[in-house]
Amino acid sequence: MLDRRALPTSTLQPFPLVRIDGLNKWFGALHVLQNIDLTLRPGARVVVCGPSGSGKSTLIRCINGLERFQKGTIEFEGRSLGKSDRDAAMARRLTGMVFQSFNLFPHLTVLANCTLALRRVLLKSAHEAEEIAMRHLTAVHIPEKAQAYPAQLSGGQQQRAAIARALCLDPRIMLFDEPTSALDPEMIKEVLDVMIALAKTGVTMVCVTHEMGFAREVADEIVFMDQGSIVEHASSSDFFSRAAHPRARLFLDTILSH
Amino acid sequence: MSMLDIWLGILQGLRITAAVTAYGLVFAVPFALVFGVAQFVTTGLTRFLVTAVIEFWRSSAVVVLLFVFYYVLPVMGITLSAMTVSALVLGLNSGGYASQAVRAGLQSLPAGQREAGMALGLSRPAILLLIELPQALVAMSPTFVNNLIQLVKATSLVSLVTLTDMTFRAKEISQTEYDPVAIYSALLLAFFVVCYPIALAGRWLEARVNPERGAPRGI
Amino acid sequence: MGFNLDFALSTIPIIIGAIGTTLLATVLSCLGASALGFTFEMIRRGGGAPGLAVRFLIDFIRSTPVLAWLYFLYFVLPFYGIRLGAMTVGILGLSLYYSGYLAEVFKAGIDAIPRGQQEAARALSLTRRDTVIFVIAPQMLRNIAAPLGNYLVSILKATPYLAILAVPEMLGRAFDIASETYRYAEPLTIAGVLFLALALIVSYGVKRIEKLLLASGRR
Repeated sequence: MLDRRALPTSTLQPFPLVRIDGLNKWFGALHVLQNIDLTLRPGARVVVCGPSGSGKSTLIRCINGLERFQKGTIEFEGRSLGKSDRDAAMARRLTGMVFQSFNLFPHLTVLANCTLALRRVLLKSAHEAEEIAMRHLTAVHIPEKAQAYPAQLSGGQQQRAAIARALCLDPRIMLFDEPTSALDPEMIKEVLDVMIALAKTGVTMVCVTHEMGFAREVADEIVFMDQGSIVEHASSSDFFSRAAHPRARLFLDTILSH
Repeated sequence: MSMLDIWLGILQGLRITAAVTAYGLVFAVPFALVFGVAQFVTTGLTRFLVTAVIEFWRSSAVVVLLFVFYYVLPVMGITLSAMTVSALVLGLNSGGYASQAVRAGLQSLPAGQREAGMALGLSRPAILLLIELPQALVAMSPTFVNNLIQLVKATSLVSLVTLTDMTFRAKEISQTEYDPVAIYSALLLAFFVVCYPIALAGRWLEARVNPERGAPRGI
Repeated sequence: MGFNLDFALSTIPIIIGAIGTTLLATVLSCLGASALGFTFEMIRRGGGAPGLAVRFLIDFIRSTPVLAWLYFLYFVLPFYGIRLGAMTVGILGLSLYYSGYLAEVFKAGIDAIPRGQQEAARALSLTRRDTVIFVIAPQMLRNIAAPLGNYLVSILKATPYLAILAVPEMLGRAFDIASETYRYAEPLTIAGVLFLALALIVSYGVKRIEKLLLASGRR
């Protein structure tokens, strides 16, 4: 079922960053993830796509421990991430998460959103936390919004602030859960531009998105999911030129015809 | 006296508690409907006067209001029974609260409902009576149930103006029996037995009227 | 006999003299009810046997009148050798009674915070304690400001119940005058007017604060 041909050679590095093996998850009777195997090497830029309800979001929420799973293993650099609270906490420390609906804290300024975890989790001094936060806010082009509250920002600015917030903890992997789906069309580009710039810094990224233009430009691997399974996993160029699975082809035809 | 005797003794006052509640509703329901609708449809000075009457009844402390009417009306030459004064004061206080639910219910209806009525050529009163009020009253029915519970509980006040309701019976029994724990536990229990089923009915109503509410979220 | 306006006016300073007791009882009862209500809600959220017990206790409190609770505490505590002043008993009674309502306010205030807020806090590795302090509580406070203000007014209007326990707040003072002069109508009317004015002033103040908070929320 799984098409593994022609993965980029770099995937064959000996030490994967994340290794998912036989992952299964049920919501009640609903089998939302079925035997997921996926390996992320350092520096990988993976786009996960597929029709809605295919389990894409659930998969990346499992990677950072926001969702529990029933069967299988997730390993971070060889350390197994089981099902305990401590494991979930470790997964969250190593990953940064960007949500579809931003989830900025509305009662805190953009700067305070960024420094909260730096101060409370990494125990940085106020000065150092602000310095780190300002560096990331500058990288996403909204340093002038540091003292603003989320409600004063446009959707695109809010999502960029959320990206800066996630980057502040210096995560090993950045996870994006449909980061542009809640945005008005004119704001999608500014967020994608920030993500493209981020990709160029070499950070490992897993991105659930329908933006196939972005996928084509940035991703080196595409994972196509349908009904809880990975049905196609190929290099970006292979996926767009000759996706093998009929459902992947159908999906591409529908999306690209828009 | 056993705990059961005490409890049965207190329940002898249930007739008065029920009578004040029912009599109170005679004042509360028309007041809530008339003034709630009036506050919704009127403007300017009329609306100010309507609001003033509502505010008098609902912003006054009901304990004080009951005593004021009980002692002031006779001085004005108006002699009403303790029962009537109690029903009037408690009823209009409760009606004042309910009128706000009526108005809020009417205000929260989408404007499209009225516009659809006008497009059908219905008169303003007909739209109010046939389209807006039925929807508003159904949507607000859980609030009315809460108002009813508050009214039942407020009837405990009539014991202060000599009516032998359940609270009065508890005081009476306490004059012959020194057993405050049993007597006042029994009084609380007596009200619980009356009000809790109404609260459960209100919850059932709430679940039917607003099925999307009450889904637990957060920590 | 008639209503003697001059006499009525002469009672104003005496009754207003007790406003301090009325306001003190209001503020302390509101603080007590908030602390107890928040504790109840946290226990209820925790679930298990304590959660169920508190859930029932809240239902029980909401199904019983405040007057019955005041009598219960006033007569039952001394039975167990606990002797407290009438004012303390009154504040305890109002705190207990309104805690049942404030628990619901806290529940609604927490439930209204979107689930994503906690997910974001978890994704940022904040501890549960830090999440409550830095993420949940500040947003909850903004959500509950309006209903909390309304209950402050409700508690103010319930303080005259304490007159029944002989606490010298405004209604109690009015009854003192009445029993000395055998004239009830005038002092009680004044008490009624003063309570209405106080309630309107406090609820206006509460609305102003609400508006300020709302404005700061939009920022």
